[in-house]
Amino acid sequence: MTDPTSTPPPDDDADLQAAEYVLGTLEASERDALRDRAMVDGARAARIRKWEARLAVFNDGYDEAPPPPDLLPRIEAALFPPSDPARARTQRGGFLTGWLGGALAAAALAAVLFVALAQFRPGPPPPVSLSAELAAEDTDLRLSARWDGAAGVLEVTRTAGDRPATQDYELWLIDATGVPQSLGLLRAEVTQLPVALAPGQVLAVSLEPEGGSPADAPTGPVLAVAELTEL
Amino acid sequence: MSNPSLDDLLQQVARQDRAAFRAVYGQSAPKLMGVLLRMLGSRDEAEDVLQEVYIRVWRRAVQFDAARGQAMGWLIAIARNAALDRLRARPEARGMRRTNSSPDPDAPDPVAALPSHGPDAEGLLAARGEMARVIDCFGELEPDRASAVQGAYLMGLSYQDLADRYGVPINTIRTWLRRSLQRLRECLER
Repeated sequence: MTDPTSTPPPDDDADLQAAEYVLGTLEASERDALRDRAMVDGARAARIRKWEARLAVFNDGYDEAPPPPDLLPRIEAALFPPSDPARARTQRGGFLTGWLGGALAAAALAAVLFVALAQFRPGPPPPVSLSAELAAEDTDLRLSARWDGAAGVLEVTRTAGDRPATQDYELWLIDATGVPQSLGLLRAEVTQLPVALAPGQVLAVSLEPEGGSPADAPTGPVLAVAELTEL
Repeated sequence: MSNPSLDDLLQQVARQDRAAFRAVYGQSAPKLMGVLLRMLGSRDEAEDVLQEVYIRVWRRAVQFDAARGQAMGWLIAIARNAALDRLRARPEARGMRRTNSSPDPDAPDPVAALPSHGPDAEGLLAARGEMARVIDCFGELEPDRASAVQGAYLMGLSYQDLADRYGVPINTIRTWLRRSLQRLRECLER
């Protein structure tokens, strides 16, 4: 490496491309090509993250500037349209708010009925059924997840997109701890997984090396994320 | 400094916590606005891209690796990528540049401009040590090359922009910067 004319190691070019990608000097076509490759190549993605950490020393060179005051409401309106059934959670956030939100709404609408129901409730609430639609931002992958609370089985159907030839889609559950837990690989068009779920938990799908993530967390790009909501 | 950690907040956003999302916005939007203004040079465009950025943050928070930390760096990377995509998609992406791309008046000495420590360093001593090493290694580059690297990073300059600025062929500037990045890497790995 001390002689610039010597042949570089085979991965040197890939590493320098990652550096140029982070630096930002590449033209659009090169940027797009590299991003596409990093999407399916964990090693390339890792090189990019490494250079991001290195070049982050420059970040203090950016001064702060006030964003427009109405921007956050605009972002929230774009992300959480009023028809969104999860809207009731806007102000409270957090885990189990689905249950709480439902209870509070019931109380506000008919306090007496609520009390009566509570008195007559014989035991734990009947099992619910949950669903989540996972749509990848950058690929055509679409997954439809349905959890049958009575059976305790999650059925995940790939409704669009192909399974990658030498990689696997891996499904993750994110609960109140925020730590992703692997639920398994999605190899078939329909995959059934026995698992206990609750509303407000989140499903995510990542692209992993064949056989799944070698670590306890996603190592490849996370392609889609969706919250489980009651059917 | 005693704010709830941005790392923790991003983990909450990963499980679709909207209150945490607001808090992340509150703590980071001025910085990201600064990034976008510097790179795009237009307030309208910066505001437009800032909205895109936070939509990506909401959708991609699950990709944030809390073990690695550095939430602000992760957010800035999203903002820079969004700005770079916008810059490179401009019809005048080759040659003609925005008005603020004339030689950068406030970047004469890139090494002096580097922080000795970052206010957003999340208190991670290990990260501080790594930062200090990167700064030292940048100090080993010739000043004009370090300046080119820093200008490219902060302003989103392409190889073509840099070639125009420095009055050298594009292949020369590319070789320059790649060599600088290689030397930086060698210094960091020794």
